[in-house]
Amino acid sequence: MAEAATSPLGLALGYFLRMHSVRIGLGVLALFVLVAIYAPFLASETAIVWRDADGVSFPLFAELFNRRSYPQRHDLLFNLLVFLAPALAIAWWALRRRWRPWRRVLWSLAIVTVAWIACQVPMLPSGGSWQAVWNDRPSPEETVRRHRAFAADDAPGAVFALVPHRYDAPYQGAILRRPGTVNESSGRAFLLGSDAVGFDVFARMVFGARISLTIGLVATGLSLLIGTIIGALSGYLGGWVDIVLQRLVEIMMCFPTFILVLTVIAMTSRSIFIIMIVLGLTGWAGTARLVRGEFLSQSVREYVTAAHALGLPQWRIMFRHILPNSLSPLLISATFGVAGSIFTESGLAFLGLGDPNAPSWGLLLNQGRENIAYSWLIYIPGLAVFALLTALNQIGNGLREALDPKSQR
Amino acid sequence: MVPTFLGILVINFGVLRLQGPTLSEEMDKSIRNDGARNADLVATGVENYLGRFRSTGLDLPALVNLRGFTDIDDVVALLRATERGPAVLEHERNRAEKDLWLMGRLLVEPLAAIVADDALAELHGPASMALSLCAYYPLNPEDLGRLTPEQQRQRQTRNHALKGLRIEYANTREAGFATTDPDAAGKRAAIAAFWQANREDFARDGATAWRALVVETGFCDFMRKLFTGTLYSHQRKQWVFSLIADRWHVTFWLNFASIAIAWCISIPLGIRSARRLGTFEDAATTNVLFLLWSVPSFFVGTLFLHHLCTDTSTGKAWFPNRGMSSEGALWLSTPRYLLDLLWHAFLPLVTLCYASFTSLSRYMRADILEQLRSDYVRTARAKGCAEDRVVYHHALRNSMVTMITLGSGLLAELFGGFVFVEYIFSIPGLGSLLLDAARSNDAPLVMGSTVVSVGLLLIGILIADVLYAVADPRIRSRYG
Repeated sequence: MAEAATSPLGLALGYFLRMHSVRIGLGVLALFVLVAIYAPFLASETAIVWRDADGVSFPLFAELFNRRSYPQRHDLLFNLLVFLAPALAIAWWALRRRWRPWRRVLWSLAIVTVAWIACQVPMLPSGGSWQAVWNDRPSPEETVRRHRAFAADDAPGAVFALVPHRYDAPYQGAILRRPGTVNESSGRAFLLGSDAVGFDVFARMVFGARISLTIGLVATGLSLLIGTIIGALSGYLGGWVDIVLQRLVEIMMCFPTFILVLTVIAMTSRSIFIIMIVLGLTGWAGTARLVRGEFLSQSVREYVTAAHALGLPQWRIMFRHILPNSLSPLLISATFGVAGSIFTESGLAFLGLGDPNAPSWGLLLNQGRENIAYSWLIYIPGLAVFALLTALNQIGNGLREALDPKSQR
Repeated sequence: MVPTFLGILVINFGVLRLQGPTLSEEMDKSIRNDGARNADLVATGVENYLGRFRSTGLDLPALVNLRGFTDIDDVVALLRATERGPAVLEHERNRAEKDLWLMGRLLVEPLAAIVADDALAELHGPASMALSLCAYYPLNPEDLGRLTPEQQRQRQTRNHALKGLRIEYANTREAGFATTDPDAAGKRAAIAAFWQANREDFARDGATAWRALVVETGFCDFMRKLFTGTLYSHQRKQWVFSLIADRWHVTFWLNFASIAIAWCISIPLGIRSARRLGTFEDAATTNVLFLLWSVPSFFVGTLFLHHLCTDTSTGKAWFPNRGMSSEGALWLSTPRYLLDLLWHAFLPLVTLCYASFTSLSRYMRADILEQLRSDYVRTARAKGCAEDRVVYHHALRNSMVTMITLGSGLLAELFGGFVFVEYIFSIPGLGSLLLDAARSNDAPLVMGSTVVSVGLLLIGILIADVLYAVADPRIRSRYG
């Protein structure tokens, strides 16, 4: 911190991290991220370690990259992070003195992206026993048999997830059970009860965290990208470009985002992917306005004139010189944007317009609304959304206070 | 204001056209049964499609309609594109066929000319099929009021007659088109007679083609239906705007009341916090309001529903769980009716407005603080004004200007919450209408209710702008 404390950014960072609300917010957010990444270890029907006459095996680790168990693409990403997150954390720590933080962020992103793309390519040859690991999901009957054997007989040794229940298939007959009721199929309790279809609420919640975080990050990333480009062009180029783009921004600001999203979802299909794209495409107006203001004030500075005099191309001045100097409002709006996207996604699911196949928190809360007497269906998803939104809003608020030169410290 | 509204309409139109791909998939499902295709079945599929989606103008091109300028050569090329051949991809051929069949009345003239042409004998079958579908005029329920009974009868007879004009043909991968109809010559004569009889309906001289270029487009159609109020919901068999007319006032009053309440509560809160700057009360208010802001409104609404609106074994619910008035409320006396309304509206209003307390009172606090530091306040204090008079008479008046400016921006952000509230408390307003329409993919109804709700929002913003002029003497003096 010795050299960082001298820079304004370092000062702001230090101030930011000293706020109690920010610390709590960051802690809660980290908890949600860890839960999302290690969801299969918290709720999964497959044993983590299994030992029988054939020897010791680790079925869950093989299952993580099984397309049938985790068909959604974001699940694959989070399953990759199960291994990559600790590795990257160690690398970050090891390289903390050698590499700038910015470089470490870029490299981490690159590694995760490459690994994710690489995992989309089927690599293992078909046939043989590997195929079974990669493509076949153990049948529910087989899992039940194993669970029973484990519960009744002490011969096979196994370590199961915290709640050995699936998130993507309902348990027949186990409808609206109270938290703590035993599930006959597995012999273990529904930790947070079961819902109106027979899903385990805990498993749904844990995998719902993945959806919320993915939506938040992807939608906000997209809207930041669009907003930055439009705001930069508008603020830097000025003239008729500015007039046209500002008119567009005004229209988007006046259009109530939620209604626009609702309309688009009604006209297209209801998949998580579409919802992410739509949220990204509709939420950029605020960012564009912020970036434009920042570009307007920066573009008359001396360093921009100097860059002009050096004959640098305009896009380079815009995105390599001005943009890094106007990152702080972007950062603030990104934090609030993530919170907004998470709210909108769970709201859509609550209204019954979300992806019917995704275990979203809003879907669970909607079941709570339909079965109004069952308090755990209301409190559990509601409090989860509330906690995540509060954490993000507190972080955003802390960022705003830390980065705003006008705020008193 | 008007350009913004027009821009929003354009975006709405773009969103409406998004359903194109899903619709064509749906149509594929309805009109295709693989291999042996029954011409009548296919035709019924296209006719259903036309009838359903003409009400949103989806059978027309989006912005420019060049169908009036296709001459015989173009149409021959279009027909050739639907021919099976050794190297033709089936899905491309399907698409070409579908596109051709949905071209509408402007293609009837060249198709009739092709059927009359002896040199194009192998195209007579497909051309007659396309003609029978292009000339088809779906009689939608919304047309029944517009056309005279005479015209309706004429259209119906004509639609019926079209079925007999199809010359049967084979379309095989080896040989391409081949006419198989034993009565081909008779049907050709019938088509020529049909064309002669309905010449004025399908003729396209220069003026028709040019008018179609801009007027017969999806965009014009949508706008015309929107502005003349002839948007028709096929699923509900009702005019969209009559559905909205029954419901919009509920949403309007709910929103209006919630904004008024939010202001009446958050302005005193903000002033109070500013005057007690740095005390525990100030910090507590700020933090509690900030936490409140993060609670999603659908969670709060559901909690109210769970705790306050549901009968339990121990007693009756405190508040009603649905609607805006009790059964038989119409027969109550006016004060009782109003009480009943308030009883029903209380929880929805709380759910709608609690989230706006935070930002409004924060801005109020910051602005009052800034005013209290300014010179004129020091002057007022030096003059010996009482502190209350300084705050409420001097500072508050100036910060109202800022508040109103922010108010119009906040409106757009908070707008949309009514969808949740109406859904949770089963209130028959615009939001629940929009939601029902969105769930059942009822495009005209979605468009109509979106446009009306955005219109309401814009009216709100307009009111805020007018208030701004009222509050700020500088603007007032400039305009009168």
